[in-house]
Amino acid sequence: MLPLSRTFVAVALLAAAGCSLQPFHTQPPASTRPANQGGSGPVISEPPTVTSTMPAEPVIQGPAPSIPVPRERPKVAPATLSPASKALVSQAQSQRKKGDLPGAAGSLDRALRIEPNNPLLWVEMGRLRMDQRNYAQAESMGRKALSMAVGDNRTQSVAWQLIADSLQARGKNPQAQEALEKAQELGTQ
Amino acid sequence: MARRKRKPRSRQKLQRGVAIIALLALLAAIILVAVLDRRVTQQFEGRRWTLPARVYAQPLELYAGQNLSSARFAQELERLGYIAQTPVDRPGTFRRKGDSVDVYVREFRFSDETQPAQKLHVGFDGEAIAALAGTDGADVPVFRLDPLLIGSIFPIHGEDRIIVSPAEVPPLLPEALKAVEDRKFETHHGVNPLAILRALFVNVRAGQVEQGGSTLTQQLVKSYFLDSRRTLRRKGEEAIMAFILESRFEKVDIMNAYINEIYLGQDGRRAVHGFGLASQFYFGKPLAELNLPEVALMVAIVRGPSYYDPRRQPDRARERRNLVLKVLAEQGVVKPEEAARAMKAPLGITDNAGRSANYFPAFLDLVRRRLREDYQEQALTETGLTVFSTLDPLLQEKAEIALSDELARQDKGGRKAARGLEGSMVVTTPQTGEVVAMVGGRRASFDGFNRALDMKRPIGSLAKPMVYLAALQSGRYTPASVVMDEPIEYKLESGDVWKPNNYDRKVHGPVTLVRGLTQSYNLATVNLGLDVGLGPVAKTYVQLGLDEAPPKYASILLGTAQLNPVEVAQMYNTLANGGFRSPLRAVRAVIDEQGKALKAPELEVTEAAPAAAVYTLNRMLIEVFERGTARPARKALPPDLVVAGKTGTSNDYRDSWFAGFSGGHVIVVWMGHDDNATTGLTGTTGALQAWTRLMASISTTSFDPLMPEAVEDRWIEFYSGLETSPYCSGSAVRMPFELGTVLNPSPACPPSTTSEEAALMQPLLQDAPNEAGVTVPADAAPQTSNPP
Repeated sequence: MLPLSRTFVAVALLAAAGCSLQPFHTQPPASTRPANQGGSGPVISEPPTVTSTMPAEPVIQGPAPSIPVPRERPKVAPATLSPASKALVSQAQSQRKKGDLPGAAGSLDRALRIEPNNPLLWVEMGRLRMDQRNYAQAESMGRKALSMAVGDNRTQSVAWQLIADSLQARGKNPQAQEALEKAQELGTQ
Repeated sequence: MARRKRKPRSRQKLQRGVAIIALLALLAAIILVAVLDRRVTQQFEGRRWTLPARVYAQPLELYAGQNLSSARFAQELERLGYIAQTPVDRPGTFRRKGDSVDVYVREFRFSDETQPAQKLHVGFDGEAIAALAGTDGADVPVFRLDPLLIGSIFPIHGEDRIIVSPAEVPPLLPEALKAVEDRKFETHHGVNPLAILRALFVNVRAGQVEQGGSTLTQQLVKSYFLDSRRTLRRKGEEAIMAFILESRFEKVDIMNAYINEIYLGQDGRRAVHGFGLASQFYFGKPLAELNLPEVALMVAIVRGPSYYDPRRQPDRARERRNLVLKVLAEQGVVKPEEAARAMKAPLGITDNAGRSANYFPAFLDLVRRRLREDYQEQALTETGLTVFSTLDPLLQEKAEIALSDELARQDKGGRKAARGLEGSMVVTTPQTGEVVAMVGGRRASFDGFNRALDMKRPIGSLAKPMVYLAALQSGRYTPASVVMDEPIEYKLESGDVWKPNNYDRKVHGPVTLVRGLTQSYNLATVNLGLDVGLGPVAKTYVQLGLDEAPPKYASILLGTAQLNPVEVAQMYNTLANGGFRSPLRAVRAVIDEQGKALKAPELEVTEAAPAAAVYTLNRMLIEVFERGTARPARKALPPDLVVAGKTGTSNDYRDSWFAGFSGGHVIVVWMGHDDNATTGLTGTTGALQAWTRLMASISTTSFDPLMPEAVEDRWIEFYSGLETSPYCSGSAVRMPFELGTVLNPSPACPPSTTSEEAALMQPLLQDAPNEAGVTVPADAAPQTSNPP
């Protein structure tokens, strides 16, 4: 349900964007991309030429407009890592750099046992799954992080970035683009 | 020569015959020696032992803020076999002084690295760790202790052992073995004829076999080939093999082989071999850490692990230990005063029950089954894997206590049918889906029928949340929706008519969803489920983590699906995890003998059910404790601890279930009889009691999920579902609704009512729809009664 409606939104946005599609698909500036991209992930292909093939129908069939505008929810302070988790995350990062992915998973498992509700740890786990080329799980970890970061824009932005990367890695470019939009939008709030 | 020629022909023939026979005998002897040489050398040189996989519990993580007092920390160290002593000068020792503990942590090979032995200073602040520091005073952010060894995966009737290298053996042990068993060990060639003669003499005089003349090498050979027949031929073979071993290998290797090989005790169907495992089995700590009286006891046991069993025959064992100590003093291995002091020491054996203290057969069973999905049986029992499991020993201990205390209470209680009940418990952590404790029956350390895995029983009203989840997912229902709690006749495919009843045999008319679920009304649930459809209801079982949907019979609405406690835990874990499904894990990592990481199930999460529907369902499950069938448990729980859950009772009170969760733990409890007899208990009066005992005794957090976006809280009347104000009456309940949900306002007390207005309306509110039974009486809480 949800991804489908997102697709519609994405398609609708793309349609609205019309000729100005090109800048839409350019890579975000390096500074907004997470540090641990690694060079191993698949390279994003050129943006598909959505405009030419796009049917008009989906725009009309988009979600009913009756969905109310979400109320302003109280802003939540950005999530932070406890000293213990921080130490384990940096250990995991150095293990990842050395290519010791099982070791990194072990370190993040430890951190998650200490702070299971910390969305930043789920994002880290998702980044590791990217390294392991388990993109579906990377996305799931991102969505789990989102569910734990309601009202925390900065963390949600990081989680959307992860989701965008996982979608791109699977060639789901329109959804990836939409996720990236969300990441950027939340990142500037 | 000439004389020989003169011998009669027949004599010559005989001589030739003898020569041929002698030659053949020599040939046979050479072949025999060659065969024996091959056998013994292969045994010694090749894979000398099959090594069962060793299974460890999860390590205790230490970090500032960890909920752990210094007293409990000291207990945990003792469980790991650490000795309280001053000074703290070797691995395996610690000192607790007020609110600080100095501990010399042992070296341990984890799945990702070998953690060297090191000293650590842990400061406490009451119930929590304040700070950790190394010997250099530097802050340590996080540190894990060496984990508890909880068992091995060995073949049925198999040998189990922990191999030790010479460096891990206290120097005293080989000296003591030599002094007591084989004084000429360093010089003999495998056999000691003098000792055999002496033994023969002693035995003849005593009229029975009292002293063996076997050298350590002979004992080793005998143990290798597991044949205790005392025939002369065996003895001869044994002597030859001992001789071969001695001529081919160094003394130090033979001694080490002996230390790892010899039989030292029996643990059910597990044969305890080698001093490494025996040290864990008897003393609960590594061999390297044994002191003089403990080493002496082990040497005493060698002669007869059953006869000198320190658990069953403590006096006999002590006597022989002291004899060993006396010999050690006589032989100059230890000083006489040391021996005298050691003779006064207690045996120091862990646990009296005849089982190693840390024995969790139900959980090990789960680990073994999970590993079998990825590994061949042979790999598990022979190749020396190390398995890091998810078991939390402290929680396991508390789960065992909670269940056995409740069963003991029922044994003494008024209900005859509830005496001698069996039970089972599963505890998981919702976010990471780890099984942290599992109890398979009344006798938790009994390696028998594992009810957590092998027993499937109807889940009763534990099935109701699935019906309500399907309803919420359909988008057609909210907690305020009204369904009819009224008799229903459902025509079955067989032609029979199914007429379910409410537990209290009453009909409650129109009820809200939140009321129907929290008070576990059967008729309301059946009507709701039939409206939503059996297909969508059955589908939720798979969403929540079952491999297969239950058959689409109407009776599944009231819990005729038969599940085991682990399956129930999987489903409720998905609820507790906000609709994210994580396949339950019992194993975190596996490494081979060289320390290389092998295949192990990874943490996985899958968004299995819409967050808003699961969130709403969970909020209703919290109300089960506030106004529903779990209300009697509320007062036994810490007042500020928010929990959610559901009672379950199967037809004729055969099964008493409770499944529920806090923020940190999912606990599933089943109680019933193995022969399926009635228990006389509901989920409330049975399983919930054990559940509450455990939940109240552990360190956990409130169930406090973040409200999903596009959901908001609103106040409704519990009985009518009309929107109201929190000031109106006791029946106002706050429930989540998707944004934009249309709710009818209560005419008597609409949502905008302020506290002042509500005070004025009090007389009016008395007449608000409010049936008898506003509060649910303890122990008589409405339950399900199942369909026929």
